[in-house]
Amino acid sequence: MPAISATAVAPRRLQWMTATVRDVVDETPRARSLVLDVPDWPGHRAGQHVDVRLTAEDGYRAQRSYSIASAPAAATLTLTIERIGEGEVSPYLAGEARKGDQFELRGPIGGYFIWTPDLGGPLFLVAGGSGIVPLMAMLRQRAAAMSTVPATLLYSSRSHDDIIFRAELETLAGQGRGFKLVHTLTRERPAGWRGLTRRIDRAMLESVGYPPKASPRIFVCGPTPLVEAAARGLRDIGHEPHLIKTERFGPTGT
Amino acid sequence: MSMDGQGEAPLDGNAAGGRLRELFALDMTAAEIVCDGCGAVAEIGAVGDYGGAMGAVLRCVHCDTVLLRLTHTPAGLWLDMRGTRRLFVAAVSS
Repeated sequence: MPAISATAVAPRRLQWMTATVRDVVDETPRARSLVLDVPDWPGHRAGQHVDVRLTAEDGYRAQRSYSIASAPAAATLTLTIERIGEGEVSPYLAGEARKGDQFELRGPIGGYFIWTPDLGGPLFLVAGGSGIVPLMAMLRQRAAAMSTVPATLLYSSRSHDDIIFRAELETLAGQGRGFKLVHTLTRERPAGWRGLTRRIDRAMLESVGYPPKASPRIFVCGPTPLVEAAARGLRDIGHEPHLIKTERFGPTGT
Repeated sequence: MSMDGQGEAPLDGNAAGGRLRELFALDMTAAEIVCDGCGAVAEIGAVGDYGGAMGAVLRCVHCDTVLLRLTHTPAGLWLDMRGTRRLFVAAVSS
C-alpha cells in the first residue's frame, strides 16, 4: 500500500482563533485593509478566505467570510473589506475596527478558488469591485515568487477613486514581468480617461484575455451578476469550463 | 471582498467552505458534487449557496435542485443531502 501523506491522514480541524488588529490601512473611500496578528496562523494559499465571527455582549453571534489579501509569504495576514450595505459584520470591520481590537476567525478555507505558481498559466484574472481581493493575493504571490507566468488582470470599478490597490497594481504592471493591467470604469471617469468605460462583456474578455488555445487558468471574482456574465462570456469564447473558477458575493454595483 | 450569506443574495459554495469543515474532515469546496435532479457535475465552490445565518443551502446552477442543506441549531448540526447523487474528493486535497 502506498504511503499516505500526513495531511490526508490527520487533517487539521478548523479552530476559531483570536485575531488582533495590528494596523488599519484606508485603500479607497469605501474599502480598508486590516492587518492582523494571528498567533499560530498555519499559512494559506492565494485565493483562500477566512470566516470571521463577532459575538455581541448578549451572546448573539454573526459570522461572515472574507478573502485574504496578503500573499502566503507575507509576515502578517491582511483582510481587505469594502463597506457594502447594512450587514452585521462588514460595517464593523470596514468602519469601526481599531488597532488593538480583537475578534475571532477561522481558516484558511477553500481548495477550489486557489492559485499557486506551480499551477502555471497564463493567468487571466477578472475582478469586479472588492472581488479584486483574492486575486490580489495571487498577484502578490506571483510577484513574491518571482514567477514569470504571464498574467492579465481585467478589473471593473465604478470610478477611478474606487480602484482598490491602484498604486500597487500600477507598480506591478510597471515592472514588466509579464503582468498586464486593464481597468474598466463603469460610472465615472477622470478627465482624459482613455481606458475602457463599460461593464465586462464577451468582446472585452476576448480582446483583453488569452485565446482558448493558450488554456489560460481563469479566476473571476465579484458581485454575482458580473461573475455570471463573465463566466458565460468566457464559455462562449470557447474556454474550457473546468479552467474557469468563480467566486461570487452579494449584489452591489460595480 | 465579503460574502454576506444573508437573504436571497445568492453566493456560492466557497462561502460554505468553513461550515462544511465543521462536519467534513477535508476541504469540500474543490470536491465534485453530482446533482440528483439533472446529473450535472460541479465543484462545490461553483454551485449556488442560498444559506443564511443558520447554515448553507447549496443549489444546482442548472436545475435549482437543493443539493445539500446544512443547518446549525443549538441542539446540533443537521445535514440533508437528498439532492446529491454522489460526492468525489480527489486524493490530493487539503
